[in-house]
Amino acid sequence: MSRDGMNRFHRDDEEARDLEVAALLEWVDPASADPNYWLRFQSWVLKGAAPELARRRLMTNLTVGDVLVGWSRAVIPPAVAAAAIAAFILTHPLQTGGELASAASVEELLVAGMGYDPTPATLVNEEAASTVAFAEETF
Amino acid sequence: MSLSGSQTPHDGELVQRARRGDERAFGLLVQKYGRAAYAVAYSVTGRHEDAEDAAQESFLVALERLDECRSPERFAGWLMTIVRNRSRNLVRRESLRETDQVPVSASANSPTPDRETERMELQEVLREALEVLPEVQREIVLLHDLEGWKHREIADRLGLPSGTVRSHLHFARKALREALGAHAAIEERRRSSG
Repeated sequence: MSRDGMNRFHRDDEEARDLEVAALLEWVDPASADPNYWLRFQSWVLKGAAPELARRRLMTNLTVGDVLVGWSRAVIPPAVAAAAIAAFILTHPLQTGGELASAASVEELLVAGMGYDPTPATLVNEEAASTVAFAEETF
Repeated sequence: MSLSGSQTPHDGELVQRARRGDERAFGLLVQKYGRAAYAVAYSVTGRHEDAEDAAQESFLVALERLDECRSPERFAGWLMTIVRNRSRNLVRRESLRETDQVPVSASANSPTPDRETERMELQEVLREALEVLPEVQREIVLLHDLEGWKHREIADRLGLPSGTVRSHLHFARKALREALGAHAAIEERRRSSG
């Protein structure tokens, strides 16, 4: 690198803008021909960004209140219904006995009207019945 | 258009607010980095219309992907990466279409036809000089000498060593001065002969 080049390099090393080059580059800046260019640029970008910004605002609000409300709408009614059913069953124990009674009635209905005794032959005499009982206890 | 750090909230805060849909915060980010985004886009595309499109679209893409910005404090560097990528894609698409270029100053207010002609000539010289530079040098000289970014800011935001930034800046300036000098010499000769 030449001496002049070195001097230039050291000058470039400083933070200062090179005014000669900066003046030249001003032509690149659209505001050099249109002073309001950057205001229009910003408004164009903001106009394009409006739907996304609105979506983000909505999402932020949802996380605070609406999400909780939506969650409660989905969860609370089934929970209340389940609790009501459980309470009803607990406060009406007699109805449960009734169900057993009705089950017994069904058993009786199944054998009603039969022309013979439905008890298995092995259980008819006492000796055979005790053998069956013994087998049941053993196995 | 340039904003000092003391007047506006820092980037991290602005990004957090913009994530929540704060229009004012996003507007400040656009105001703060609009010119730099344009400069980076111009350094890639070399055309005003393309640079404008790429810079504007990059802000919209950045907003959509704002949650992916892992370091909000380094928003500028992240944004410039988006600008660079979108500009390169635009150039690829444009090269397929091969549309004619419309000069930047087509809509400018021109005091006299001679002055406008001179302006357009100088602009063309500058455009050609910038075109010859490597993309990274164009970007650095525009960010430093046009936007006023410091060496350290450029190094930090472009992910380059500070020495490399200085070196690129030196060679870019040298090339631009030479181009300008050659143009001035041609103009001088033209005037003296005419």
